[in-house]
Amino acid sequence: MPRILPKVLQNLFRKPFTVKYPYVKRELPKGYRGRPAIDREKCIRCWLCIRACPDRAISIDRGTKTPSIWLGRCTFCGECAEVCPTKAIIMTEEFEYTTLYNVT
Amino acid sequence: MTFVLPVGPQHPSLKEPEFFRFEVKGEEIVDVDIRLGYAHRGIEEAFSRRNYKHNVYLAERICGICNVVHSTTYCQTIEQLAGIEPPERAKYIRTIIMELERIHSHLLWLGVAAHQIGFDTLFMLAWRDREEVMDMRELISGGRVHSATNTIGGVRRNVKLEHIPEMLRRLDKLEKSTGYYADLWGSDRTILARCSKVGVLSKDDAVKFCAVGPVARASNLKLDIRRNDPYGTYEALSFDVVTESEGDVWARGTVRLREILESIRIVRQALHELPSGPLRVPVELKIPPNETLERTEAPRGELVYYARSNGTETPERIRVRTPTYGNFASMKSMFIGGTVAEIPIVMWSIDPCFGCNDRATILDARTGKVSVVNFKQLKRWRR
Ligand code: SF4
Ligand code: SF4
Repeated sequence: MPRILPKVLQNLFRKPFTVKYPYVKRELPKGYRGRPAIDREKCIRCWLCIRACPDRAISIDRGTKTPSIWLGRCTFCGECAEVCPTKAIIMTEEFEYTTLYNVT
Repeated sequence: MTFVLPVGPQHPSLKEPEFFRFEVKGEEIVDVDIRLGYAHRGIEEAFSRRNYKHNVYLAERICGICNVVHSTTYCQTIEQLAGIEPPERAKYIRTIIMELERIHSHLLWLGVAAHQIGFDTLFMLAWRDREEVMDMRELISGGRVHSATNTIGGVRRNVKLEHIPEMLRRLDKLEKSTGYYADLWGSDRTILARCSKVGVLSKDDAVKFCAVGPVARASNLKLDIRRNDPYGTYEALSFDVVTESEGDVWARGTVRLREILESIRIVRQALHELPSGPLRVPVELKIPPNETLERTEAPRGELVYYARSNGTETPERIRVRTPTYGNFASMKSMFIGGTVAEIPIVMWSIDPCFGCNDRATILDARTGKVSVVNFKQLKRWRR
């Protein structure tokens, strides 16, 4: 008899290990690094985030004269949120989106 | 009369897609030729165009599975270059994440190896338990795969007190199931029939071809950078260097499974002994001209980083040697004398991050006729 058989039978009568995503969502741990978001009111235009970003994903938006993040390049490292003196950039818990030239 | 059986170079999920040219006589492999360099991404050049801090994230992206060990080795190299000593707590946190990475990498290996020999139940079970590790990493680093935890001079994220009970609980669960897999690996008839005495690398050959990591340890070579050239906190932690004497695919699997148990032991110790203190020290990014070499033990073997600075914020040269590269030379002695049916599992046994999606061309050396088969067909033949 194959040695794995007891385990197979045991698993046959258990509820599935997987979560029925997207109908059921798992709770994300605190401090999860999702999409960065900018609060443009809080920004003091110090441009520290632009220097900290390893992927050159942040540029200055011509209209609002505040930083804007090109999500196609962003790797969700969280450096920008770390250096921002006024906490204008935060890492949200959002991870479901597609992007081509999506900016935030 | 011999045939030539090319395998590769299209291995989409392998970080170093390579081309194998097998010379076969009937079923038996009589020669193999390996050609490398298909995945040149210019990363080493890119290193010398960014500053030291941005390069941490570039190093992390050399390999997805072993990203923490890459970024840790990079940070250690730069710290050595600049003469910075990271705080104790940072070293412990690095150790914890690196060992978690070893666990999940070895479980991934086990799953794919089981899939290669047609044992899909074990594949599903191993990958199910791998989720425990991924969740642990998400808990402490905020990302399942890329941890983005390391930085030059320390770490960016803390292992909080409230994380520890949860992690210990998951480690217990993992220890139990890994023990079961280790039992199964040593006693199941399918596994023994497919892996035992297959792809043997003798101890002499392992020395001769400079095998590294689990491949060397499965050939009874006690070679582990964590023990031979301790870095970080490994001197203070107690663990065994696992070796097996058979040198076949089965022994490589056993070494990896027993290493998971050792890694669980290391993580537990590190969590218990986690010293308090700062997480990082401030660093000056302008590093005077200097050069250094650093090695660490990645899940797949010895990882080497060389760095040279020139007084600016960007390095002059960074050189990386990944463990898979170190193991290619010994593959020849594993393959010769084996059969075509053994190719997938022997190739996977060095853990080269393999995507089994290849195509092979069969060239009839006598008639010169070329026909192309895909990997599905190759798989069907080997069953
Ligand atoms: S999260 Fe990282 S990659 Fe993304 S914008 Fe911020 S610094 Fe750049
Ligand atoms: S670091 Fe913060 S405050 Fe400074 S420019 Fe960036 S978003 Fe604005």
